[in-house]
Amino acid sequence: MYKMLVIGLSAGGIPLVKRILRALPQNYPLAIAIVAHLSREHESHLAEMLNELTYLPVSMARDKEVISPGRVYIAPPDYHLLVEQNPHPQSHFSLSVDGLMKSVRPSIDVLFESAAEVFESGLIGVLLSGANTDGVEGMACVKRLGGLSVVLDPQECDFATMPHAVIKHVDVDYIASMDEIVSLLLSVYEPS
Amino acid sequence: MPLVKWKNHNIEDVEVSLLLSALKQRYGYDFTGYAQASLKRRLLELTHYFGVEHLSKLLPEILYDEAVAQTVINNISVPTSEFFRDALVWKEVRTTVFPRLNSFPWINIWQVGCGRGEEVYTLVILLHEAGLLKKTRIFSSDINPAFLKEAQNGRWSLRRLDGWRDSYLRSGGSADFDSYFEIKGDEVAIREDLKQSIEFVQHNLVEDEVFKEAQFVVCRNVLIYFGEVLQERVVDLLTRSLERGGYLLLGRSEYIFDAHEKHPELVEINDKLPLYRKVIIKRRRYV
Repeated sequence: MYKMLVIGLSAGGIPLVKRILRALPQNYPLAIAIVAHLSREHESHLAEMLNELTYLPVSMARDKEVISPGRVYIAPPDYHLLVEQNPHPQSHFSLSVDGLMKSVRPSIDVLFESAAEVFESGLIGVLLSGANTDGVEGMACVKRLGGLSVVLDPQECDFATMPHAVIKHVDVDYIASMDEIVSLLLSVYEPS
Repeated sequence: MPLVKWKNHNIEDVEVSLLLSALKQRYGYDFTGYAQASLKRRLLELTHYFGVEHLSKLLPEILYDEAVAQTVINNISVPTSEFFRDALVWKEVRTTVFPRLNSFPWINIWQVGCGRGEEVYTLVILLHEAGLLKKTRIFSSDINPAFLKEAQNGRWSLRRLDGWRDSYLRSGGSADFDSYFEIKGDEVAIREDLKQSIEFVQHNLVEDEVFKEAQFVVCRNVLIYFGEVLQERVVDLLTRSLERGGYLLLGRSEYIFDAHEKHPELVEINDKLPLYRKVIIKRRRYV
């Protein structure tokens, strides 16, 4: 059973992630963590903006915060967001200001790889749109550790460098349209 | 017992733990309480640096070659910062913290984690501009003597200056930022006279005690590298080193986990800023 959903996006990705979050129902059983490349010094209002349009509570991820199902966490600007394997019943986030990866911080690779190591086959990784190649290593790791790897069809986005790079380097499970991604993410939801 | 095949990332966890054990026993550097995920990333990067297939291949070198061990240690406690990083936080420090600090007859500031000196010299410039530098002693500490030396040296690549100047201006700075430096070839050096108020001190947050009472403790992006238990110890240490009424500044996205319960004498100033003030706790009297 899936426990966590990680979403990576860069240029052109904000409208797409909005669409996904709008479609997810209350009590969605997965925890969701999002890395979006925003300008480094720009104070992010992304969490507030997304919070307006989804049933799920959205907040900036905090260091040591326990990862709870049905919540959406955004990587804070200028920090890498990582998932910690810990002795507690639930895993938690940590932050780092280690160097830029592929010239970005937060890095999609860093989140995806650390989440894959903790959740393994319980992880879904979704990459949307972007003009760089961040996410390739992360998605490779999701796939290698048995998680579900999903990338947006490059024909559906304006900035296709990222999805193209992922498709080239990783044998992903799904190359999907936005509609397909949404129904895929809804299919793991079984209302009780 | 049959031997079971493991996934590589689980084996890497074993390698990390062996390596940390070697550093602790052989050199006295204890990183075992650090947050694991980012620590593991930094260690695995070393396999590329040294061109080895597995982290455990570095074990003999670490144990027998001090130079290799030093490289590993430097990489684990890698400092990254810049002048006036998070300009708006510093702007707040100018307006919120400094007027209060001014009410103390003299000021001790403990800046934790010297990095390459960017944060401590940022503080010096701010204090200088606020007219507080003359009555201030700044203690900049780090676990790693190599970093202390580098910070004391105070030189950086010239091409970083433009970005820092922008941040300085956004922090509310109105002087000529470049005048705080001397250009030496392709490097900039902080002016010698700006080093006078600083004392660089080797201090290990993992095991050392409070060494100075301070009115302002600046500990930015250090706590995120610690696991919960160590983090709690360090926050306790920082709190004890603060005079009542003193301030604790963290990194922009940092906050103190369970502050209400575990560190009730620290009060968050507002939710926009990673700034805490040490207050007097009134003991509840049971009648």
